[in-house]
Amino acid sequence: MSEKVLLARVGRRDSRSIESYLEDGGYEALRTVLTDGWTAEKLTDEVKKSGLRGRGGAGFPTGVKWTFVPKDTKGKPVYLLCNADESEPGTFKDRLLMEEDPHQVIEGVILSSYAIKCRNAYIYIRGEFYLGARILNRALEEAYAKGFLGQNILGSGFSLDVTVHRGAGAYICGEETGLIESLEGKRGQPRIKPPFPALVGVFGCPTIVNNVETLACVVHIVNRGAEWFAKIGRNEKNSGPKLYCLSGQVNRPGVYEAAMGLQMKELLFGTEYGQGMKGGRKVKAVIPGGASAAMLTAEEIEDCPLDFDGLAAKKSMLGSAAIIVMNEDTCIVEAAQNLSKFFAHESCGQCTPCREGTPWLHKVLTRIETGRGRLEDIDLLEKISNQMANGMTICVFADAAIAPVLSSVGKFREEFRYHVERKHCLVGRGASRPELVTA
Amino acid sequence: MSRVRYSLAESGQPAEFPPEARSRIEKILTRYPTRQAALLPVLWVAQETWGWISKEAAEEVARILELSPAHVDGVLTFYTMYNLRPVGKNLLQFCTSISCHLAGAERLMERCTKRLGVDLEQTTPDGKFTVVEVECIAGCDRAPSMMINDTYHEPMDEKKLDALLDELSEHS
Amino acid sequence: MSDKTPMQPGAGGAPSGPAAGAPPPSPPSAPPPKDTYTVLFDGKPIEVPRNVNLIEAAKLAGIEIPHFCFHPRLSVVGQCRMCLVEIEGIPKIQAACTTPLKDGLSVKTTTEKVVQSRAANMEFLLINHPLDCPICDQAGECKLQDNSFGYGDQRSRYDEKKRQYAGFDRTPIGPHVIADMTRCIQCTRCIRFCQEIAGTGELTFLDRGGRTLVWTHDGKPLANDWSGCAADVCPVGALTTREFRFRSRVWYLEKAPSVCPGCNIGCNISIENRDSVVYRFLPRLNPAVNDYWLCDYGRFLSESLNLREIEKASARQGDAVQEVHVPAAIGRIAEAIRGSAPEAVFFLGSANLSNEENYLLRKIADHVGSPNRDVVVDTSRTRRMKSKTAWVEGDHASANYAGAKDMGLSPSPGGYGLENVLSGKAQPEVVFVADAAFSKIAGDPEKVAVLRRARFLAVAARTANALTSAADVVLPAASLAEKEGTFTNVQGRVQKFERAFLPKPPARPHWELLLLLAVAMGFGDRNWTPLDLRRRIQAEVEGYADVTEEELKGGILMKKGTFVSVGAI
Repeated sequence: MSEKVLLARVGRRDSRSIESYLEDGGYEALRTVLTDGWTAEKLTDEVKKSGLRGRGGAGFPTGVKWTFVPKDTKGKPVYLLCNADESEPGTFKDRLLMEEDPHQVIEGVILSSYAIKCRNAYIYIRGEFYLGARILNRALEEAYAKGFLGQNILGSGFSLDVTVHRGAGAYICGEETGLIESLEGKRGQPRIKPPFPALVGVFGCPTIVNNVETLACVVHIVNRGAEWFAKIGRNEKNSGPKLYCLSGQVNRPGVYEAAMGLQMKELLFGTEYGQGMKGGRKVKAVIPGGASAAMLTAEEIEDCPLDFDGLAAKKSMLGSAAIIVMNEDTCIVEAAQNLSKFFAHESCGQCTPCREGTPWLHKVLTRIETGRGRLEDIDLLEKISNQMANGMTICVFADAAIAPVLSSVGKFREEFRYHVERKHCLVGRGASRPELVTA
Repeated sequence: MSRVRYSLAESGQPAEFPPEARSRIEKILTRYPTRQAALLPVLWVAQETWGWISKEAAEEVARILELSPAHVDGVLTFYTMYNLRPVGKNLLQFCTSISCHLAGAERLMERCTKRLGVDLEQTTPDGKFTVVEVECIAGCDRAPSMMINDTYHEPMDEKKLDALLDELSEHS
Repeated sequence: MSDKTPMQPGAGGAPSGPAAGAPPPSPPSAPPPKDTYTVLFDGKPIEVPRNVNLIEAAKLAGIEIPHFCFHPRLSVVGQCRMCLVEIEGIPKIQAACTTPLKDGLSVKTTTEKVVQSRAANMEFLLINHPLDCPICDQAGECKLQDNSFGYGDQRSRYDEKKRQYAGFDRTPIGPHVIADMTRCIQCTRCIRFCQEIAGTGELTFLDRGGRTLVWTHDGKPLANDWSGCAADVCPVGALTTREFRFRSRVWYLEKAPSVCPGCNIGCNISIENRDSVVYRFLPRLNPAVNDYWLCDYGRFLSESLNLREIEKASARQGDAVQEVHVPAAIGRIAEAIRGSAPEAVFFLGSANLSNEENYLLRKIADHVGSPNRDVVVDTSRTRRMKSKTAWVEGDHASANYAGAKDMGLSPSPGGYGLENVLSGKAQPEVVFVADAAFSKIAGDPEKVAVLRRARFLAVAARTANALTSAADVVLPAASLAEKEGTFTNVQGRVQKFERAFLPKPPARPHWELLLLLAVAMGFGDRNWTPLDLRRRIQAEVEGYADVTEEELKGGILMKKGTFVSVGAI
């Protein structure tokens, strides 16, 4: 797939305005659905057939998720929440979509709201995206003015209000129930599941939470058909165009669109993509799906399709499609320590294993990194990790937190050992000058 | 990024929203089915009004939204972006998550604090700068990424930083 | 166990269902019970009510599922993760408290995964927990200690600095509660109590992650009427009561089931005592009255039971007041009463006294032939209490106004009450006050002066006041902790309180003093006990026919009139 779908309009002059969006065929999908008499069920079916899987991290089939909303909600309104809380380290695709092509996102929100019979949708955008929020709000005003939002849209009888709701600095509010709690005006502490949000969500009502990119895909599924979408990508379980966030020590970090299942090496080295490693250095490790994904070694990325099942087969995950590349000069222990700092800061603190485990991991990694580690610490890191996840906690934040620890210790054990024994990094800044090593 | 967020500071004067802020709050309230749900947006209005959220401001928000002050405290201290103390005119936020770390973010941040003569979370005596460390702000492809108040400055480097600090020092 | 709500009658691990070791349920021909589920614990089936939590259901089966954040009366949050069990059909371990009951649910509590998860949680909870046991009040009734001992690994692998909370440790968080956040395990029981039961919402989490702590908004301390309950529900020593701080190790305390004297709700309490000293009141579970709770006013009345201001009988000889023996004092009272016309004798009971005592007083009045008997109502301080299902509104400042009235302490035809005496309409020659602390009136010199106009004034008392100073004869009375009896509360429930320890002679319980007086007046039997008095009440007083010893057993609810006994909880 060489043509751009999601990023087609990025870089176009005035891409944010509704005029340019309409010129490029924007809101046609909405017109099709509302004036051609698509039922909500038909729209849901199309999305199901397309094989669209959530682009926020979990990869759950979107159409199927929509069907979890009960047919009879017993008078309760249904809510669609657009998850624009993008906070997974290495991820920046939603930011791009919202800042450069907000109407694509909004049209996706409207279509998806129609599919689940929602009349009030919220775009929960992380607090740091001041610009994105301003742009979205302006775009919403334009959409209201043109009658794509509000009462009786395009005379269809379908009405929808969309509100941009800004977060205030909490990664855990990207977890769907954490987001729901935050939207309700509370601390963003994830809820016990079941009940699932489709049954009991925000304000106690059926709720669907979808990622920005997922919602943008819906526009194109309507415009070009489920079959078209399903044909793109490696196979029908991993379909559609995908945005990949490439960062780290490559020549050209950035957001790249490709058919689902792009080969890792292509993304890193391809001339259309990363264009290889900076300074010609070698790859040491790659995190394929954001900080919550297990690291892969240079060998493991040899035949590595970047899709849900491809990475699951490598015992990692596609997650938010944030590929972070570390070269041979990177101290893996330092990287793991940095990642553990992130998780220790972002744990909500509700449940015991995560609240106590994430700072503990960070403390042990810091000791090892700063030359105060012991050999037992390496095993200890694994032991702590193994008693933190797999049902021990309310949400899978703990499972995310242990992924970098277990994968780095598991695959680079010698480097940890070196650190403990020599009290400084094998490679990287601290290698030849141990006194430079800081926490 | 706040290390410890346990208490609100007092501003020493009662907090009353100016009329413009008040009408924004009224509009916000119409978008949510419960008053409590408007808490985060209203706290943003408060921060935009006063630059930070004092104990008095928190109590006023609690009053308007019919929430217990303790609930508002719980929310204020959970989220990192609400300033619980006055901050400098320029809030320098350095991301130190993995991609920015790989690009030398900590060194950059250290250079900044050294030059300004403050620790993290501290404000310069002239009130112009506060330096904080933040987690991933989604600027990873332009690492090291940072924000000054509500604007991204990315990618940042030593030269750019020096020049920026010069400029902001002069014009703040 | 370690829960700070002792005296859970009927509980203590004994299964009440047909499970644990019993043969399997009846064959298919018998219709299954409709309002229960069949749940299997480690393979053994048991019928459990549908509306209980899985942790409670396990308890009915005699199985302990360790927990911290679960509390039967607070919302379920599933945060502590201590109650993780294996549910058949679900691969990952599940929190028992958040697992809905259903027919055929099969729970495994002894598998390797479960054992390891408990040890893991204990390790996590203890890594930052201070080694405060030697100085912590909670020791002995601490869930952390109990669960660590029962399910934790003895060694710790933590070798870092423990988290500190400077300024939030060993600091009062309210007038009655001292907080130490280094001990907190973030279970949110206290937060939920304030929100859901007290309705005041003073407590909240601050910060997040490993730095989370519980505190109040600055300037709004933990000061609701039930703040002591927040310390009760705290499973560790993070919240403790100031009044009890450092006073005694809990395993030295004896627990006597009693009833709070603070108002006429009659919350069930446990008088925690040692060597004839009352150290504290704790609530005693009674879902129909006070459930798990106790208000601060009542709770901190405990210390007042240790006051012994009147320890010996005394009698006035002219201007001088002399110590006398109790029998001699009684004799003087009897003499004074006999020396007066019956219509000129006034008997004043008290809403603080038990049914047995007020009954006996009225019987004495009957025997003497005096129509003048009364009990004072005091509505100055009314309180409310959350029972399991509703709010109970108390309407008297004393425990037993209703009982006193039921026992007949109202003027008979032709007689007068206290109001008439105080207004001067009636002028008794002899006044006998069964309890000198009957109300604030006893501390009012003007009102006491009116009573003093009588030729002879006698009182029974434990604490001194204007009335005891003015009296001709003062009998030394024992406290609530030193006698048994029954109170009738606002709901019409007759509740029994037990004796915690023997009185310090020559002080005696009011009923014993009254009995001595009765016998001196030629009525009653010297050997009567409160039980005998209750039997007579049962036989003679309207509405008290159902108040049998069976019903009163253990001090739990009993029947009166149309109210139904709850029995063992």
